[in-house]
Amino acid sequence: MNLSVKLGASALALMLAVGSAFAQDIKVGHPDWWKNAGAKFDGVTLRGVTEATPPSNYISDVLAPAFEDLTGIRVEIETTSWDQMYDKAIKDMEAKTGIYDMVFIEQDIVYAYLARDFLVDFTAELKAHPDLKAANFDEANLTSFADNFRGKDGDLFGMPMEAFIKVYLYRTDLFNDPKVKAAFKKETGHDLVPAKTHAEYAEIARFFTKWGKDHDMKLWGTTAQAHTGHPASWYEFFESVAPTYGVYNWGINPDKNYAATVAHGGSMNSPEAKAALKWWLEMRDLAPPESVQSTWTEVATTFAAGRAAQGLVYGENAAWIASDKNKSRVVGKVGVALPPLEDGVMADAESGKGYIGYYDGGAFGTPVTSKNEEAALLFLQFLALPEIQEDWAAAASRITLTSTYDTPKVKALDKELGGYYTMMREDGKLFRGAPPYPFHAQVREATAQILYKVLTGDLGPDEGLDQMAAKAEEELQTLGYRE
Amino acid sequence: MHSNRLGWLLLAPTLLVLGLFGVVPFFYVVWVSFHQWNPFAANPDMIFNGAENFRRLVFDEAFLASLGATVSFVFFAVISELVLGYMLAQAFMKDFPGKGFFRTIHTLPLIMAPIIVGSVWKLMTTPSIGIIPNLLDSWFGFDLNIGQSAAAAFIVTVVMDVWHWTPLVTLSLIAALVSLPQDPFEQAQIDGAGKRQIFWHVTLPMIAPAVLATVFIRLMDALRTVDEVLMLTGGGPGAATRYVGVHIFKEVFPRTNYGYGSAISVIVLYLTIVVCWLLYVGMLAPRNTGKG
Repeated sequence: MNLSVKLGASALALMLAVGSAFAQDIKVGHPDWWKNAGAKFDGVTLRGVTEATPPSNYISDVLAPAFEDLTGIRVEIETTSWDQMYDKAIKDMEAKTGIYDMVFIEQDIVYAYLARDFLVDFTAELKAHPDLKAANFDEANLTSFADNFRGKDGDLFGMPMEAFIKVYLYRTDLFNDPKVKAAFKKETGHDLVPAKTHAEYAEIARFFTKWGKDHDMKLWGTTAQAHTGHPASWYEFFESVAPTYGVYNWGINPDKNYAATVAHGGSMNSPEAKAALKWWLEMRDLAPPESVQSTWTEVATTFAAGRAAQGLVYGENAAWIASDKNKSRVVGKVGVALPPLEDGVMADAESGKGYIGYYDGGAFGTPVTSKNEEAALLFLQFLALPEIQEDWAAAASRITLTSTYDTPKVKALDKELGGYYTMMREDGKLFRGAPPYPFHAQVREATAQILYKVLTGDLGPDEGLDQMAAKAEEELQTLGYRE
Repeated sequence: MHSNRLGWLLLAPTLLVLGLFGVVPFFYVVWVSFHQWNPFAANPDMIFNGAENFRRLVFDEAFLASLGATVSFVFFAVISELVLGYMLAQAFMKDFPGKGFFRTIHTLPLIMAPIIVGSVWKLMTTPSIGIIPNLLDSWFGFDLNIGQSAAAAFIVTVVMDVWHWTPLVTLSLIAALVSLPQDPFEQAQIDGAGKRQIFWHVTLPMIAPAVLATVFIRLMDALRTVDEVLMLTGGGPGAATRYVGVHIFKEVFPRTNYGYGSAISVIVLYLTIVVCWLLYVGMLAPRNTGKG
């Protein structure tokens, strides 16, 4: 056998191996309908761009080939980094080049896209093309997270494909250890149970940081997403901590001419916000040293490494922390609870006035510049078929349809995750995504620089919040939203 | 005449590509820099605002701070790379066991993408977890925390750049040293010149063009450093390592401040050209004039 034959055989074997690794048996109802619907788009290739996350990789590796098998419509999904993905999507839509038929829309940017009329109205498009409405697609089956992608009239502009809540994780092995419990009771006079208030949370954090030090353990009382140069810290404060003190929507008041300062009707520098920041800074000091370099990823890694007794962790990581023995040292030792709150915040959340934490996730939408809107309509419905959700949820711990909660694999995973999915189902309504502002990244970047100075100690928390509120108003004025 | 036309014809594809991907985007950036343009502003259109962006950046404390940090970064990084690169080049000019192996090993950082370099250094320097803080702590009791200490973060970015790019300087200088004639060195030795005198009066003047070319390349690269630093520190702690490339990135990408970001880019390009010109005049022009 000569070299070229050997190389050819190796390449073929490699292709087959890769192909079989991704091949999954996906069965979809009404296959004939899908085949006929797809036949109208013979030769069409749908192009999408998304962030390289587990749910997106599943689309690229499993769902796109399955859709192609079903309809004959080819789908190419480009998975790339977060900033590259935005850069490509925004430039395509801004320049109207029409390269992409589907773009990933993270929950926090959808309002900016809607303000620019970048996206196709999915609901209206489906009404205009009743022949393209799949029998097994039901918009009513979407969880409440889909509301983040609706326009003013309630129409859907993005098909949710990943959704998570940022939860309070704690170490059940430590919280249930009789020796630890006794020591905690002796030191604080309280029982060691997951915190319901900030004061309780801080007490537990102080105890475990001291416990770790006293017992020469690599253990600290809490995590902190407190990077001193990355917006992750800004997000932790404004989307996870400030709301639990009753400071909602970043402290910006759209009804008061987008005021951020208390003087103008905002609450970014309110006493509640200042108390929240001081509390969070104390938690940062009680957290492992790497916290000053931690984004959401490192917070999850810190918890998975067993270095923190409790923490606020993005739900997309909760699944692997609790169940993946290859990546986590705390498998089977993770409990889930609602974040600690100040008085009145739960009542606000239940009445819809406020919320207790961050509902994170993203959707796939079609840019108005797409040349294959109708074919894309089929693919977006395909992403919301109940038949494909169970394996997708198991592979990437995301749930976007209500019916998925009742599937066997998700129920089994829920037990491993200490009830994470049950919490998402029952209490998901208490969490909320980013505020509906079209100026999300602009205000964040303008004010984050000041928060970093607070984190490095160059600026006091009170002074920092005063400056941030003033800076937010200045930026909103420059952008033309504040008069 | 015929050969002239053929020459242009052969050059045409290159000129076309250069024009399309170099010259046109450059003029577009210049054009955008005279506009107020943020696609997520209440008015997302490009609005001509004359030289307002350039006036603004003169008083922009964040930009001036990033420029200052960049000048320090470039100064320390390029000088260190030049000195280390020259020393390594001299070492590789001599024969020693395993020379080929070491020469190959030392060039490995060059083939790494900056984003990977940033990731690797982040892993190595993460407070309390990374190998470098651990070793410094156990050997010297020194607490290296690049997330909290501005000076530590600055030094680590410089060291990372030196680690990544010194091999380039070494290779350039080896090429220059290898091509030098031996006669001047022999004559200088016969005249009784010492090692230091030979370096200042023979070696350095002869390799000056290569040194200058290398400095130009490194200077321009260091001025536009983004990926490595963004990955390592994100520009922090605070704004300690928010070098001008990182500053432009944050203005243009997350903040979508296209007009103002373009103005900063144009000014930084202008400053780079001025610095390179000053270096050229300072190092090569007197030599050329003397010859002429």
